[in-house]
Amino acid sequence: MAVSSPTTKQQNAPRQGLWSFGTVDKPLLALISCLGLILAGLAGLDTGLTGLALVGLGLLLGMTFMGFQYGFASGWRRFLETGDASSLSLHFLLSAVCALMFIPVSAAGLGPSGSLAPVSVSLFIGAFMFGTGMQLANGCGSGVLFSFGGGSGRMIVALPFFVIGSVLGSMILPPILAWGSLGQIEIGAGLSGTGKLAVNLLLLLGTAGFFGWLSARRGFRINRTMLVATALIGLLCWGVFWVSNHPWGVTFGFTLWGAKIASAAGLPIETFAFWTWPGPQRALAHSVFSDTSSLMDFAMIIGAGLTAAVTGAFAKSAWPNARQLQAAALGGVLMGIGARLSFGCNIGAFLAGTASGSLHGWIWFALALAGSVLGIRLRAKFGF
Amino acid sequence: MNSPQQTTSKISPRLIYITFISVLFAVAIGDHLTSPALSNLGAPTELGNACAPCGAPCVDTKPTAD
Repeated sequence: MAVSSPTTKQQNAPRQGLWSFGTVDKPLLALISCLGLILAGLAGLDTGLTGLALVGLGLLLGMTFMGFQYGFASGWRRFLETGDASSLSLHFLLSAVCALMFIPVSAAGLGPSGSLAPVSVSLFIGAFMFGTGMQLANGCGSGVLFSFGGGSGRMIVALPFFVIGSVLGSMILPPILAWGSLGQIEIGAGLSGTGKLAVNLLLLLGTAGFFGWLSARRGFRINRTMLVATALIGLLCWGVFWVSNHPWGVTFGFTLWGAKIASAAGLPIETFAFWTWPGPQRALAHSVFSDTSSLMDFAMIIGAGLTAAVTGAFAKSAWPNARQLQAAALGGVLMGIGARLSFGCNIGAFLAGTASGSLHGWIWFALALAGSVLGIRLRAKFGF
Repeated sequence: MNSPQQTTSKISPRLIYITFISVLFAVAIGDHLTSPALSNLGAPTELGNACAPCGAPCVDTKPTAD
C-alpha cells in the first residue's frame, strides 16, 4: 500500500470545491474570455445554434468540474486506501441520472442514441492501463482537462502526454481489436424500453446504494456539496446528449488533436487503419471545431480557466516536484493508450457506457479500479 | 518557501499555462481556418459500420464457413 505523505493525505481528502472567491486574475480572465468568444463565434458561424449550445454546455461542465473539484481518480483512490466509497456511490448515482435520459430516448428512436462498445480483449487491457495511468497523473480524462484548464502544473505535463498516448493507441487499436471480441452486449436487450431502463436503474442504483452503505458502515458520509455537483453534471450530460445526439465523450478530441499535429509534422497518420475508418477519417479531414468531442474539450478548458481566474486559483498553483511530473507524463501516456483501447475514459466509457446499458461500461469500471491498485502502488515509487 | 513536494522554478505554471493555452488555441484556430468545416457537428460513431464511440467497426470474431 502506498505510503501516505502529508501531500497524499491532502490529495485524498474529500474535495470541497473552489467556490470561495479569491483575487480575480484580470489578465487571465481577459485572455480566456477572448479565447472563449472566438471559439463560440467560430462554432456558431459553422454549426449555428448546435455549436453554440455545445460550447455553452462545455463551458458549464468546465466550470462545474473546476468549481466543485469533481473528479474520479481521487475518489477511487480514497476507496482503495481508506475504504471511503462515497465518491463511487456518487459516480454510480450520476450514471443512473444519465440513464434516465439515455435509455428511454434511445429506445424510443427520437434521434439521440446511447454509447455501446464491444466487450473485447482491448477493453480489458485498455481499462486496466487507464486506471493505472489516472492514479499516476492524479486525474482521469475529465480531470486532466479541467485541471489543465485551471492551470495545474501537473496537468500541463499530463495533457500533452495524454495526447501522444492517444495517437499511439489509435495506431495499435485495430490489430488488438482482432485479438477477440464478443461484440456489443446490452444489458436488458430484448426487453421493452421501460424494462431495459428498470433493469439498468436497478443495477446502477443498487451499486450506488451498496457503496453508500459501505461508506456509512466505515464512518464516511456522502458530501452534500458533491451530491449537488452530481445532479448538475447529470443535467448537463442530458443537455449534451440531446443537442449532440450522443453521450458526452472527452478523449476522442485528444486523439484528433494529436493526429492533426502528427499529420502537420509529416507523419502519414491518415494511412493507419484507425484513420481509414469512416468516422475518424472524416474528423481528420475537417476542422477540429467540427468534432463534438474536440469542440467540447476546448470549451471545457475555457470554462475551467474562467473559474480559476475568477476564484484566484492560478495564484495557488505551484509546480509539483520532478518525480511527480514524470509520473504525470507516464500516467498521461498510459491513459491515452488505454482510452483508445477501451473506447473512452471515465466519461466516454464508464459513465456513458453504464448509463446506456452497455456491459462494456461495467467491465471498464472493474478493470480501471483494478488498474488503480497498481497505479497507487506506483505512486509510492514516485514519492507521493 | 516551497515544500519538498514542490519544484522551485523561476517559470511559474501560470506563465507556462498562458503560453500553452495561447499556442493551443492559435493552432486550433489555424486548423479551423485552413480545413473544411462541417455544417453539422460530427462524431466518429455516426459513419460506417461503427460499433464504438471512436468509430471502430464491428468485428465478427466468429469463424465463417467456406
